[in-house]
Amino acid sequence: MADPSLLHNDATARDADTLTASNGTGSLHAHCCTSFLCIDEALGPAFASADSSRFAQTSLPLRQAPRRGAPPQIHDVTEKFTRACQGKSLDVGQLVKDEYFTLFESIGAIEIMDPKMDSGFLQPGETLEDDFDPLAPLLPQELIGIMDQLLSYEMAWHTGYPLSQTLFTSVYIDRLLWPEPKTIPQAQFYRGDISDDKRPGTLLDVLRAYCLALIKGCDYVIAKIMARDYFEEEDFATHTYNRVLFVQVPIDVFLRELDASVEMVEDRDLEIDGGIRSAIIARLQFRKSFLCALDPECPLEILSNFWPPVLPYIDQVNDTHTLGKTVPGSFSTKIQRRLASTVPPRPIVQVEFNDALQTLKQLCADCEEATRFKDLPTDPLEYQSFLWTFASRQPAPLTYSRSYLSNILFDPYILNAPVSLPLEDIKSFVFHESPVLDPSNWALSPPRNPLIPKPPRLQFALLIDEYVERVGQPYLDLWVALGQNRCRLRRMLTHVISAWDILQQDAVFVDTDLIACAFQLNISEEVMDGPLQTWVYIKKLWMIERVIILGFEQDIYLPDEHSGMYYFLSLMATKRKGALQRCVEHNNDRTVQFLKGSRFEDAQNTSDKLSFIDSELQQATGISAFAKALYGIYTIASYLRLLPSPNRPFSTEKLRYELRMKSFLSLQPPEVPPFEEFQAALQPYGTISDPLPSLYDDLKQADSKVWSEIDASLKAAKDAFAKVKRYGAKESKAGGVEQAWNKETQGMLASCIALGVAIAGLKNAVKDIEPSSGVQVKVEIPPAGADKRYVEGWIVPKIVKE
Amino acid sequence: MGDDTAATAHDGDALQYVQYHGAKEETYLPAIRQLISKDLSEPYSIYVYRYFLYQWGDLCYMALDSANELIGVVVCKLEPHRSGPFRGYIAMLAVRESHRGQGIATKLVCMAIDAMADRDADEIVLETEVTNQASLKLYERLGFLRSKRLHRYYLNGNAAFRLILYMKEGTALKRPPGMEAGQAGQMMGEPQKMEEYKGFPQDADVA
Repeated sequence: MADPSLLHNDATARDADTLTASNGTGSLHAHCCTSFLCIDEALGPAFASADSSRFAQTSLPLRQAPRRGAPPQIHDVTEKFTRACQGKSLDVGQLVKDEYFTLFESIGAIEIMDPKMDSGFLQPGETLEDDFDPLAPLLPQELIGIMDQLLSYEMAWHTGYPLSQTLFTSVYIDRLLWPEPKTIPQAQFYRGDISDDKRPGTLLDVLRAYCLALIKGCDYVIAKIMARDYFEEEDFATHTYNRVLFVQVPIDVFLRELDASVEMVEDRDLEIDGGIRSAIIARLQFRKSFLCALDPECPLEILSNFWPPVLPYIDQVNDTHTLGKTVPGSFSTKIQRRLASTVPPRPIVQVEFNDALQTLKQLCADCEEATRFKDLPTDPLEYQSFLWTFASRQPAPLTYSRSYLSNILFDPYILNAPVSLPLEDIKSFVFHESPVLDPSNWALSPPRNPLIPKPPRLQFALLIDEYVERVGQPYLDLWVALGQNRCRLRRMLTHVISAWDILQQDAVFVDTDLIACAFQLNISEEVMDGPLQTWVYIKKLWMIERVIILGFEQDIYLPDEHSGMYYFLSLMATKRKGALQRCVEHNNDRTVQFLKGSRFEDAQNTSDKLSFIDSELQQATGISAFAKALYGIYTIASYLRLLPSPNRPFSTEKLRYELRMKSFLSLQPPEVPPFEEFQAALQPYGTISDPLPSLYDDLKQADSKVWSEIDASLKAAKDAFAKVKRYGAKESKAGGVEQAWNKETQGMLASCIALGVAIAGLKNAVKDIEPSSGVQVKVEIPPAGADKRYVEGWIVPKIVKE
Repeated sequence: MGDDTAATAHDGDALQYVQYHGAKEETYLPAIRQLISKDLSEPYSIYVYRYFLYQWGDLCYMALDSANELIGVVVCKLEPHRSGPFRGYIAMLAVRESHRGQGIATKLVCMAIDAMADRDADEIVLETEVTNQASLKLYERLGFLRSKRLHRYYLNGNAAFRLILYMKEGTALKRPPGMEAGQAGQMMGEPQKMEEYKGFPQDADVA
């Protein structure tokens, strides 16, 4: 399982003392080929001279242990190498490698004098440096053009491209950052003394202020993303190639520079056209507001104030973009040669300005949405709904936005809530008004004599405390997973599920102890059977369902796998439904018990909490029934040969089933059904290639068992989703994301209607079917991400007349 | 995808399918590199090819025309994966544009799969761009399934599907020696070792 996100970490750990910079989006060229020697005539004497840092620390065959911070040592291996070649001890193509030489490292090798790999290679007549003069006076239109181009590259960087192919291709940015200025006044488009006639004019000064703030913004973005425990290199390149992005300089320095620039531009002595003047000011104001919003020091409670002011400036920038005039010479791939990277120069990323502005707007909107997190009620289930909904936003939130939300979520203010968040979650399902969580349990002291058993109520407290502690990490892991990009979310969830599986095994023991205590206290009827394991199971099953639904959303399953995967989804949701049913029953029992004891207030409280559990129950019921209906229609479509089904000479159904179930095979419960059981469910009429004759009889009759089961499932799904809708977002603990929740619930109902149409279409097509005759319809599978599905993870087939 | 006119022109030209051998490096490696790197913005160094060919030359198959010109090639490796199974990996697959649509890639892949099966592979994996319909079709017809989507897998920012073909029952539960079944994959945050490079080309055609 290659994991690209870890490329960078891996690289720095191993090659810390060589200047490496693998960047997440692609190349691994940065790896030095330590344990490696290969003979090729073409390499010749240039082997060590062109980029000797790459061969630092070479002493075959052992790998140098990582030594962070040590200065690079450079060994010239030319002579050794030449000797090896001349001695004819190695043939062409012969590879001397040790076990540490991995594919990863082979990728890192380059060939000297190959223009596509050797970053120092110059084509005939090519110069190493550009001759663009960053001190040459600018036209106001050019200033606008450069600012907009920089903004485009900034957004390209946000979407995952490295700085080396985006912002760092700007000659202006390069001049500001290198050689590294000690102070901000030193950060100029020149270094040292300069004659007065060469001194940059007002517009260059304005550009400088803009660039400084832009660079600082990048620093803030990297800081925010790196502050997360877990981020994906595949999404975002944090490398700065040894350029220091004014890390130590506080924000007000940059704001002052921007303010001063605004004043300079506003000065009527500066002779420029009014429209252009305000266009430049809008860009400076945008920069200022954006930088403030990116400031990681911004206190949680006022975060939301910072995003709305950015938007009007974006519109102004958009409206005045055409006033700008590009200055292509001010951007160059050649700068990459001087960056601390051994990646060969790659082309500058091309971005349309409109697309860049869309990205920027999305970034602002997502971050503003994320700030709403702090206003959620202190309820982990509301948090979970928010995280899930945020991860589901379309277009998918960028890495920065997701980091931004994570930083709010993991803010001490949120995490150190006065209540235990996992315990609140548990309570919502299994411990309402329960003696197990009675606060007085926590007030008891253990007996002074350790030989005397602890009072059962104290044991409740101790057992719960210990278990909640145990839950902490897997619980946070779920939240971390929900902060990943969608693809990784699916993969990470399978890991989280494994951890929750162990949690469930632990819960079995704790539950036994809890029940024993309740028995001692003679209150066993007040505690539900296996409360903790029921809770873990519900959560775990929810995650399993999500993994499958995400698989549909990401087009992981081929059309002829749909019936099997919806079948499995239905099984899982049915199990969750069963567990939730037990919670509902316990809640009802408790209400009755309170009423009998004339504890009317407790009875009311308990009954009030029922709506959440019942809403969850209806949700699970809906998923289970709808998946079952889809399994039904896809099974029929398979028999009718309406789905592409490759012949797969190298595979068997059983092997494919094993592959599909891989993530769930070790879970206990829910046990994955044995293959024979699965196959029997998918092929109720015998093999797909040679079905039983009864298939056709049943298909012809609209009220046969096969059709009535599908109809009943669909009706059950509709009813359940309608009930969920009636409960509403708030009762379902998704009040913080009501709009999205409503849309999703409505989408499920719409999917049900669409499936009803498909079922009718198919019934009609087979009403006269004979074994020998085909059907005059075809099945269309709506594609993912094209707005053709009401809910992305629910693929309702369309039956179309041929 | 197939270029029909060109394809017809070559119809009479019988191809021979040959297993690579280290002794053939000077003859074939330049052609292999050229064929594979044709569409890459950034070529692989010769060491990448040698990494595969030196260790698993017998899992590389070439399609040659009557003039001994290289028409297609598949490059693979086979070694124990850290998660347990003995894993084959189809690293590169390319067929000359003029010869696509004739099933050459399929034939090459089948030969590679057979060779890996002979050597007791538990599973065979590869990655391909989510938009590369020809490649997806080719592998899916043979029995590969998509196991995961990999966001921004390629240099160009495109996503990939990981495709997997199980060769033997019990592969899903295989664990590396010394690790009990059920243990793997349960350790969150355990650093995963980079094994396969992202972005090897699957330049497949439709059979």
